[in-house]
Amino acid sequence: MLILTRKPGESIYIGDGIKVVIVEIKGNQIRLGIDAPSDVRIYREEIYLQILEENKKAAESSSAATETGLEGLTGGWAKGAGGKPASSGAATLFGSAAKPKIAPKGSGAAGKNKDGEG
Amino acid sequence: MTEGGKKETEQIVVQSSRFGDITVAADSVIHFPAGLIGFPERKNFVMFDHRPPFAWLHSTEDPSLAFVVMDGSQFTDAYEFKPPFNDKEVGITSDGEFAILIVVTVRADPKLTTANLKAPLFVNTQNRRGAQVIHDDPKFPTRYPLWVEADAASETGQDAKKAQETK
Repeated sequence: MLILTRKPGESIYIGDGIKVVIVEIKGNQIRLGIDAPSDVRIYREEIYLQILEENKKAAESSSAATETGLEGLTGGWAKGAGGKPASSGAATLFGSAAKPKIAPKGSGAAGKNKDGEG
Repeated sequence: MTEGGKKETEQIVVQSSRFGDITVAADSVIHFPAGLIGFPERKNFVMFDHRPPFAWLHSTEDPSLAFVVMDGSQFTDAYEFKPPFNDKEVGITSDGEFAILIVVTVRADPKLTTANLKAPLFVNTQNRRGAQVIHDDPKFPTRYPLWVEADAASETGQDAKKAQETK
């Protein structure tokens, strides 16, 4: 890891497009200003790691959905979420193009799509 | 296997450890230029319904990688989630069409299933390109309980309260 010493108001460049400014030092906190192209994603580490962890957990746990079919959930599905009651699956967001043909293997939990097409 | 009636749309077969072979239209693939966070190598997915409101977002590249997702607009207004208008690779514009998908973490006990409101996926429905966005804001919990029943949700009840304030 490269380690540099900077004073408030000073900056470093990372490549041509990213500038990091030491804005202010207050006790044990440092405020940074970052100028970067809009397609560069910038996250606080702990939040990034939290999402990474949750994504991994979601990927691993999704097999539980294959097994249980989320049976109870669709019945007890929350009104508390602040939206309308769920009427259709998210795949319908993408229109009929997204409807797959599934060669059933085992129970094929996802096989029956509600067909919204006329 | 019926190959009959040649359609103009090209079909591809997605291998799935859960569902076997899935045949989808090639143009139904959703491309995430940066992948999902933690899965940068997996850029292409297809979607199909599970039990509404749940759907699968299934990798076309890894037979065992699939996420349960749901429509984000069922939680709150789309713009509360702050679409990544500045992500040029995805190209979502304020007058364009886009979808929001929320990744669901399933538990063995369905009552403990949660939705990750902090990191929704945005998909430009015109070019089918998408990105996962992180909202660095405590009002979006990573584990929003989907099952609302006083006792079952008590463990994560704090988060639920916060999320409700977003209304």
